[in-house]
Amino acid sequence: MSDNVLAIKDLSYKKNQKTILHDVNLNLDQGKIVALLGENGAGKTTLMRIIAGVAKNYKGEVEVDGTTKEADRKAKLSFTDGLSGFSDSIKIQEVVDFYINIFNDFDENEFEELRKFMKLDPEMKLSQLSRGMREKLIIALTFSRKADLYLLDEPFGGIDAMARKKIINSIIMWKDEKATILISDHFVNEISTLLDEVVVVKNDTILEHKTADEIRENHKSIEEYYEGLYEDDDE
Amino acid sequence: MEFKDNIPIYLQIEQYLYRKIALGELKAGEKIPSVRKLALELTVNVNTVQRALQQMNDRGILYTKRGEGNFVTEDTELINQTKQDLIDNELENFVQSMEKLGAEGDSLVSILDDYLRRRGKEDE
Repeated sequence: MSDNVLAIKDLSYKKNQKTILHDVNLNLDQGKIVALLGENGAGKTTLMRIIAGVAKNYKGEVEVDGTTKEADRKAKLSFTDGLSGFSDSIKIQEVVDFYINIFNDFDENEFEELRKFMKLDPEMKLSQLSRGMREKLIIALTFSRKADLYLLDEPFGGIDAMARKKIINSIIMWKDEKATILISDHFVNEISTLLDEVVVVKNDTILEHKTADEIRENHKSIEEYYEGLYEDDDE
Repeated sequence: MEFKDNIPIYLQIEQYLYRKIALGELKAGEKIPSVRKLALELTVNVNTVQRALQQMNDRGILYTKRGEGNFVTEDTELINQTKQDLIDNELENFVQSMEKLGAEGDSLVSILDDYLRRRGKEDE
């Protein structure tokens, strides 16, 4: 038995005959906080959706906690696909009721704690939520499940500094020792002190996978390292 | 606490705690905050705090009581040594920058002496 919570082998994915991802190989250990970095359109969201079992018809193998079956994978990881399936007119509480129904591992008490921490009103409708509040709700829902792998897709996009701080603190407080969190972003500064590892997506594949300490031991900041990998494209 | 992003964070956490011990903000035999509390306070990953504390345990400046957490050593010799290391470290940085400005050896001593005299007067 390996400690890999995620193992991806020779993954490729096409949509309308266009290659979105090719030759993706990735192993993540238990207990890590990992950034999935890449420009917009690099394939980060697609990769997350494939891992989560939302995007199908890929080639290759995706294993979460030793299981490749989509339904089993979904039970072992927690991913909130942007609340895209919910109508804007429903209340936070109704979303929560849905989660309680669907996921056996959804912990209502944990959600209550997170909801209070994030200062979310359960009677609010999704349409009334600001961008930051929406992200906070997504995080609260995602972390209320007891999973081995948590996927956070661009949780910091377009939100203010206070909401960001709350989300970062919730990651530090609620992460179980053995759980791994994969966070996608196109900008690394805001989370760089949190990271154990960095995975860079470029040209429809994973270009590099390094530990944060490895990068810093070469006297580079993670931002410099990441920008360095994209530098040649500007000309 | 602001971290430099081009130096491993666990090393900076160690430095931060060494400084607190040397300055007496964390006293001999005192329990240090829990791993999660430190992680929140410093906005870093729990794993990174653990790595820093592990290294400090290995060096003997901290010790672990099972189920109770981490404590500062009661070995005052070792604490004094920690303080001396910090002073040496700061002095080394200072001497290196002064050497770049052309002040070395005896001339550095007289420059420093002169500066301290002037600084003393300003304070009066």
